[in-house]
Amino acid sequence: MNDYIKITSNLMIICATAGLILAATWASTEPVKVRKEAQELEQALKGLMPQADSIQAVKDIKIAGKECKIYEAKQGGNLTGFVVSSYGKGYSSYIKLLVAIDANNTVTAVDVLGHAETPGLGDQITEGWFKDRFKGKSLEHLVVVKGDTQTDVQAISGATISSRGVTRGVKDAVEALKAAREGGLK
Amino acid sequence: MSDSAKISYGKLITNGIFSENPVFKLALSLCPAVAVTTSVKNGFLMGVAVLFVMTMVNITVSIFRNLINPKVRIPAYILIIATYVSMTDMFMAAYARTAYREMGLYIQLIVVFAIIISRAELFASKNKVVPSAVDGIGMGLGFLGALVLIGAIRELFGKGSLMGVSLVGQNPLLIAILPTGGFFVIGLLMGLFNWIEIKRGGNPSSGGGHH
Repeated sequence: MNDYIKITSNLMIICATAGLILAATWASTEPVKVRKEAQELEQALKGLMPQADSIQAVKDIKIAGKECKIYEAKQGGNLTGFVVSSYGKGYSSYIKLLVAIDANNTVTAVDVLGHAETPGLGDQITEGWFKDRFKGKSLEHLVVVKGDTQTDVQAISGATISSRGVTRGVKDAVEALKAAREGGLK
Repeated sequence: MSDSAKISYGKLITNGIFSENPVFKLALSLCPAVAVTTSVKNGFLMGVAVLFVMTMVNITVSIFRNLINPKVRIPAYILIIATYVSMTDMFMAAYARTAYREMGLYIQLIVVFAIIISRAELFASKNKVVPSAVDGIGMGLGFLGALVLIGAIRELFGKGSLMGVSLVGQNPLLIAILPTGGFFVIGLLMGLFNWIEIKRGGNPSSGGGHH
């Protein structure tokens, strides 16, 4: 009986100490993390809408079952476009995206914020030449095609599924924005 | 090994790097050795994280070795490891965000790295603080060196670059960067390490297998 108490209290003390240390670490690092995350998002938004002087979140939406947002970009009070955060299911991860869309529902730029696709193959989705393939595409041209194409989105050779994932995420973003605007968002 | 009377610190260090190298000789923690070594940078960062956690765990276990009840020593070690890993994770998330974005997924896995708990159980729980710290550093350096070496070979053959600097054209041998290639590279290096051991007159299987 004595032994049980000894062992239990031994482990309890270790747990309590570990908990205290972790709580202290969390309290000191969490504010820094949250602040830096916000900064990174702001920078990414600015990168997509360089001419805008104010970018504000206007609506919460759901894409691929995840929390996403629609941002409105304005320059001197005039609407210049929208940015939609989105997710697309790739080969081995959900690819986190930011999609810049103009007032005619045409994609103007895409940024990949996070992913865990295969290094050397799928991770090419973050490269400029692939992201540029979405520039100027409207809803009906957001389709992945293997082989040469200018009108649609050309897949990365060896990474068709990752390419499809990004395209799906971009397409969902455009559709979500379209639905939101028809539903009352200016 | 448990004889703490006379072990030179230099020998403890080289023991971790060569004769009992965690990856090439003990064949422990091969999962991360394959998963994160797609580039020199990733291998290096993971190695540094493991070096830190392993040294701190060895020191902590050694300090409290007489206070931890032997019947609950395994959960106690896991708790100590988990605490240091979570701290590393939180600090990286706040202060090393670029690195964290690429390997945040793997940091939490350090909790279950066999090499760390095996050093706590086999060495730190039976030795004084300073030798335990040195053993942690030696083993950590051995792991770090192995990851950097594997990362260098895989990055060179798979991406045609070293430390992010492109040397040859795109993807000379793509398989090197895929998990399959990771196993090939580790297997070949393991063979090389054993071959060197034989050349030097040692027993190639001295370290591996029994823990």
